Amino acid sequence: MKITREEINHLAQLSNFSLSDEEAKSLGTDLENIIKYISQLDELDVKGVEPTYQVFEMENVWRPDEIQPQEADREQLLALTKEQQDNQIKVPKVL
Amino acid sequence: MSKYEITIGIECHVQLATKTKLFSEVDNDARGKEPNSCVSPVDYALPGMLPRLNAEAVRFAVRAGHAMNAEINPISRFDRKHYYYPDLPKGYQISQLYQPIIGAGFIELPDGTKVRIEHAHLEEDAGKLSHFGSYSLVDLNRAGTPLIEIVSMPDIHSAAHARDYCKELWRIMTYAGVTYGDLYNGNMRFDVNISLAPEGAKELGTRAEIKNLNSFRSVERAVEYEYQRQSKLLDKGEKVKQETRGWSDDTGKTTAQRSKEEAQDYRYMPEPDVPPIHLSDEYIATEKSALPLLPSDYRARFADAIPHDTLEILLDYQPLMEKLGELDDLNHPFEARSQSRREAASDPATAGVASVPRKDVQIISKVANLFASVLLAEEKSAEYLNDLPSVAQLRDLVKMNSDKELSSTATKEVFLKFFDPQMKTKSTKDIAKELGVIQENDTAALEKIVDTVLAKPETQKAQADFKAGQDKVIGFLVGQVMKESHGQANPSAVQQILRTKLSK
Repeated sequence: MKITREEINHLAQLSNFSLSDEEAKSLGTDLENIIKYISQLDELDVKGVEPTYQVFEMENVWRPDEIQPQEADREQLLALTKEQQDNQIKVPKVL
Repeated sequence: MSKYEITIGIECHVQLATKTKLFSEVDNDARGKEPNSCVSPVDYALPGMLPRLNAEAVRFAVRAGHAMNAEINPISRFDRKHYYYPDLPKGYQISQLYQPIIGAGFIELPDGTKVRIEHAHLEEDAGKLSHFGSYSLVDLNRAGTPLIEIVSMPDIHSAAHARDYCKELWRIMTYAGVTYGDLYNGNMRFDVNISLAPEGAKELGTRAEIKNLNSFRSVERAVEYEYQRQSKLLDKGEKVKQETRGWSDDTGKTTAQRSKEEAQDYRYMPEPDVPPIHLSDEYIATEKSALPLLPSDYRARFADAIPHDTLEILLDYQPLMEKLGELDDLNHPFEARSQSRREAASDPATAGVASVPRKDVQIISKVANLFASVLLAEEKSAEYLNDLPSVAQLRDLVKMNSDKELSSTATKEVFLKFFDPQMKTKSTKDIAKELGVIQENDTAALEKIVDTVLAKPETQKAQADFKAGQDKVIGFLVGQVMKESHGQANPSAVQQILRTKLSK
């Protein structure tokens, strides 16, 4: 399957990446290879087969509605961000 | 100007009032709390963190579904909705696209109009962004708050009905106890889809979506504005663009935000981190029977005791409706009876309320009127409802009024004292005594006062005039007796006695 330049640009835009021409080209090739590899699955006829949500057949993995103390506090979590201000995460303006 | 038919569908986000978030074990109630103080590594999407589903959020969703007369799907699943925005650090929202927990249902508006619910699904809320000159600040307290998104069918055809729908949804959700319903703090938010088509047209027009409305009034105004805007475009032969628009309460206008075609590539995929929900029939049935009484139950119950408009005012206050329910009949708890009515409704043989013991229409009607007059007349009247009078106080009040111990003015006066911190713990009788408003009904005592008045020189002329046929002067004489009794005589009893005595 051929991945067009437009598709790469579209995906980059959705993920807020800016790509150089070179990066776009090499990512395009990578993506093509990945899709080609996965396309082998197309040989299987999956008509009438439910989509797989869970490979371990688990269900109802619930927890009680109780507040638990957290190991990481606000300061530690904020310290992971690039920039902070007034206990909030500072990001370039988004609208 | 040509006539267009308006078609409206509404999506409503309801924040669930669970103690913790949908997938993390931190405080879900961030009201008045510091930014980012209710946040866990799961909400930060740190590598290796796994979401764990809050059982209570599932229960609330099921309850909300029942409250909307909806099918509860025994199996539901989560999907990832990808979008890259700093309000959700994961880069996707965990939602339910293909198999939502709540299926088709309906709600009924106060005037009986039915609006069908297409489905409702569970998902997590995003964080809050504040925008400044060159940067934005992110507070993740709200990120991960459980939401249900309720999607209506396009069954609404006027601005007033759009408002009524949102309000009724708010009532139902707060009565069901699944949300705090605080609109000011965004507990419920409405996205309104509006399209116009020439009257009688088979196909719907192109719709615009007005996002993020948070009051019933703004829903109504935004719909009115859109009707004008879109009909002007259509009149000119132009097309309505399918787009998202924002509403400003200040300007009273909607403005384009982004067109739909550009965005909306969410690349949904099954969420592998949250195993499916599988609900047993017992679980679903248990939640149904645990559902509190809803506005429609009270409408059915009180239709003959409270006028429609009054009831619609009172229905905004659930604790008040519960109190009226208690008053209705102490020996036959209202709760249990309406429950049996709801169960009976599925069995046509016993359906309806015929088997329910007769309620006391008079008590309900009088108490309802007292509350309605206070709610309509007093500023900040809703504060009256924070701490309601006891059933005994209210019953005694209605009884004293029926027994003519309290005039209607005095009844209202005593009623208001039920909310006075100094008086509220006292019995109705003690309050009435303290206010000195109990009417004298004892005939012997009243006759004595009447005799005193009739013996006074200043009433002689009036007595003569009355006897000469001037019926109107009876008012003057009653007034004199009321004065003599310091306002405590029952005026109609006084008039009776006067007439008897003067016609001798």
